[in-house]
Amino acid sequence: MAFFTEYLADPSTQRELLSQTAEHIYLTAVPVLIAVILGLGLGITAHRSPQLRSPILSVVSTFLTIPSLALFALLIPIVGIGATPAIIALTLYALLPIVRNTVSGLFSVDRAVVESAKGMGMSATMRLWKIELPNAWPVMLAGVRVATLLTVGIAAIAALVGGPGLGQEIFTGIRRIPAAGSLESLLGGTVAIVLLAILFDLLYLAIGRLTIPRGIRE
Amino acid sequence: MSNATSPETEIASLGEETPPGQTMIELKDLTKRFPGQETPAVDRLNLEIPKGEIVVFVGPSGCGKTTSLKMINRIIEPSSGNIIMDGQDVTSIDPNQLRRRIGYVIQQIGLFPHIRVGDNVATVPNLLGWDRERTTARVDELLDVVGLPPDQYRERFPKELSGGQRQRVGVARALAADPPVLLMDEPFGAIDPITRTRLQNEFLRLQSELQKTICFVTHDIDEAIKMGDRIAILREGSRVAQFATPEEILTNPANEFVEDFVGTGATLKRLKLTRVREVEPTEALVGTVDEDRAELRRRFDESEWTAMLLLDEQRRPLQWLRGTDLRSSRPLTEVGLRARATVEEQATLSDALEEMLLGAAGVAIVVDRRGAYQGLLDVDDIITAIQTMRDATAEFYRAAKLVDPEAEAGA
Repeated sequence: MAFFTEYLADPSTQRELLSQTAEHIYLTAVPVLIAVILGLGLGITAHRSPQLRSPILSVVSTFLTIPSLALFALLIPIVGIGATPAIIALTLYALLPIVRNTVSGLFSVDRAVVESAKGMGMSATMRLWKIELPNAWPVMLAGVRVATLLTVGIAAIAALVGGPGLGQEIFTGIRRIPAAGSLESLLGGTVAIVLLAILFDLLYLAIGRLTIPRGIRE
Repeated sequence: MSNATSPETEIASLGEETPPGQTMIELKDLTKRFPGQETPAVDRLNLEIPKGEIVVFVGPSGCGKTTSLKMINRIIEPSSGNIIMDGQDVTSIDPNQLRRRIGYVIQQIGLFPHIRVGDNVATVPNLLGWDRERTTARVDELLDVVGLPPDQYRERFPKELSGGQRQRVGVARALAADPPVLLMDEPFGAIDPITRTRLQNEFLRLQSELQKTICFVTHDIDEAIKMGDRIAILREGSRVAQFATPEEILTNPANEFVEDFVGTGATLKRLKLTRVREVEPTEALVGTVDEDRAELRRRFDESEWTAMLLLDEQRRPLQWLRGTDLRSSRPLTEVGLRARATVEEQATLSDALEEMLLGAAGVAIVVDRRGAYQGLLDVDDIITAIQTMRDATAEFYRAAKLVDPEAEAGA
């Protein structure tokens, strides 16, 4: 382990890893945020409309079956290299867990609860915002969490299309194998990604604590 | 929500026009066809529901009683026909505005799990835009009315309540904006028998004060007889087999279907028609805990009674004491037989009989709503009551037959 601590002790490595981590956070947060906005709309639509449900779910599932390397590369002719193809591809990947959990979250709301809301004179919009979404929220949040962890991992591939993030450190290492220091880079990038994933997970735990109403907490 | 004011004012007066006893809700040729089904679920239902009464829809499962009920607040939109409420056709007005004026209680209750009990009850007042103080006051008042002390229950979440307590909150929520009409779909269906009986009695007591117009759906004829001022016995397609008072349905079923549905034991069922308060209770020999023991013993010895009922400071029954208990040296609250088998005045004779049979003493202790002793009821009282009922109805039908119905209608 001595070789790795030496690598970490180098100030230039530290600076490098820190800035790449910041980039990686950006590369995760932006696609997840876009996917939440899109996924919420798609999920609500799929829940409301039986006709649109299966097309929507099929399309978002298909995205996830495209190999990530291929999807990143396919986007280069359209949007060029750098962060943009990465953000687009990661958004598409993040959609499935969010849409799927939004749909199943909304279906998990007790029908009697929705019916009594209707019976008291709440409009469809009010029912959605005041009753259905708050009660579906724990399941929806779990979907966002899975989407985030998925994105943290896949975002490493972005380096291959000239994207930012911790993937750069990993691929620097891979390219230089078996030169000295290659293993350190590979390991450094990977460990940083794992740590980042754990931090995101803790963040979601905190968000859950703060936003899930006490009445429906486990 | 384009013109929020007009439908609001349009139905704000719901119930103020109609005097008690007059028709509050009229269903005219109400029909529901579900797509893909050959026969309509509800086939031209015509019914007049009098103001201030509980009308029970009862019938076998699949007869369309729930569909009929849910068309009144248009949770299910009628395929054809009209709903006239308080003289006004509500078949095509904004359903959300309509529903805010109709209380709605369903079997599964459907409390909102993510908000507190108080906020659940405040739902309709909030929708109607009541100010905060008025809403808070109303919520506390209603929790009190349904027997849940607001300080203790207002801040709880639905999951922290028992089934019976949830149902009470459901009723409080339905009553929040003081709607003149209440729709109840098997409201006590999912509750254990003991709690159900208690909730039924409490609800009847509440209704005697509130005088709401209530449509009540059940599949249980016993519940229908107990709760209904009038009963509509429905057969498939929601066709009315008989629409009459419970008394009349039991003594004079209109056809074989009603007879079969009411089943055997009509006399026993009629015990559900008479309330304990309608029967004169017997006075028991009572003593209270704060009285001197010697004094209690003196009273006991002077009386013919074999036991004395001991009451607490609030006059709630505690123990049955026999002579040996009064003479023993142990504290009075530790000797004797615990006084069980209490019934409220609102309970039916059937409830009272059941308590008597369960309790060891063979009598039921009548208590008021605070649990204070009112008197005793024994099996003889119940037999006498049955006798009187039978004589009275026999008299009624003899008299009815003597009058020429044609001449009566013409007069």
